[in-house]
Amino acid sequence: MRTRLAIVVMCAAALAASERALAHHSFAAEFDETKPVKLTGTVTKVEWANPHIWFFMDVKNQDGSTTNWGFEMGGTGQLVRAGWKRDSMKLGDVVTVEARRARDGSNRANAQTVVLNNTGQRLFAGSSQGQQ
Amino acid sequence: MRIDNVAAWRSGFLALGLMCATAGTAAGQWLSVPVAGTPRTADGKPNLNAPAPRVADGKPDLSGIWRADTMRYNDNLLPPGTQAPMLPWAAELYKHRVDTRGFDRPMTYCMPHGVPDAMTVAGLPFKILQTPGDTVVLYEEFHKYRQIHTDGRKLPVDPDPAWYGYSVGRWEGETFVVDTAGFKEGSWLDNSGHPHTEALHTTERFHRINFGRMDLQVTVNDAKAYSRPWTSDTMHFLLQPDTELLEHLCENNRDLVSLQQYYQGRGQGAPPTTGKK
Repeated sequence: MRTRLAIVVMCAAALAASERALAHHSFAAEFDETKPVKLTGTVTKVEWANPHIWFFMDVKNQDGSTTNWGFEMGGTGQLVRAGWKRDSMKLGDVVTVEARRARDGSNRANAQTVVLNNTGQRLFAGSSQGQQ
Repeated sequence: MRIDNVAAWRSGFLALGLMCATAGTAAGQWLSVPVAGTPRTADGKPNLNAPAPRVADGKPDLSGIWRADTMRYNDNLLPPGTQAPMLPWAAELYKHRVDTRGFDRPMTYCMPHGVPDAMTVAGLPFKILQTPGDTVVLYEEFHKYRQIHTDGRKLPVDPDPAWYGYSVGRWEGETFVVDTAGFKEGSWLDNSGHPHTEALHTTERFHRINFGRMDLQVTVNDAKAYSRPWTSDTMHFLLQPDTELLEHLCENNRDLVSLQQYYQGRGQGAPPTTGKK
């Protein structure tokens, strides 16, 4: 089981990194593969919908201010098939996200991995798993 | 530069993609719903190497839930290393689409992929329902469907242009041959952006290798966009056993406005979407 899970996580991560396997829109048009970002914050909103799930979280900046970031993931079916449930990530959860930033410089990014900090559970973000 | 990147991604992910395409089922991550009529091995698992099923008249039965074994065809229908014989206007439009990273592809606006590439979206499977008079393709992407008439009718002489065109199918031995015409301009042949006009006529050749695999080649004939007909790479599809389609409606399209603003701000917005001047 552990091996199987490892395969799924590896595949998910690999496919998430593949800009050719992206969402209904062109990933490369909207996000920059060369601009990775890793952020930890508190979930403020989850939109469990197609063609993309989006979630938002407050991230504390070094100067003490807070910025609300938006993260795009795959579609609902894609994440369900990867083992997510619609309540896998709840409001108030502290999560760490690895993502690729939007080209327009806004506080949006395409999530590639999501880790629930309180359990260490690593959730596949699914943004890129072949849902072009 | 973009093409180089694409090639690198392709080679890097091909092997892993094949493994992942099968690992999903093996790991039980897909929805598990036992489907009646599925051949099984002694331990109860779907036997994907079993012979292709057949319908009452002995023809192969293409029915089932399928998905492409790679995103490569979705990216570019052509065999690797080859180019489509585009007429100058088509080549110009194609270059624009590549240069702007395909930001204005129809799917950005929640319009679906077309023929044949709606079947090549690896993360969103499709379901074939083969009945005596029609073969129906249900696309999970955007909850769309397509009909292929198999009752012997001919292609209409002057059909109203349609996104998926008008399709008739027949059997040539073990191969299901589908001719489609009456296309509306607008869909892209693939995500790279190969264009077409209303003169497009596609011929798809489906062949179910066994229970678990199906191959497809499509010939693109559009004299207004290409100097000669050309044929796609052979596409491979994997049956997804014991699962079902899920709803995928476009209700949360946050990308459209961002993409339009970004590219219009760079002077690359409002590109030509057809060959019409």
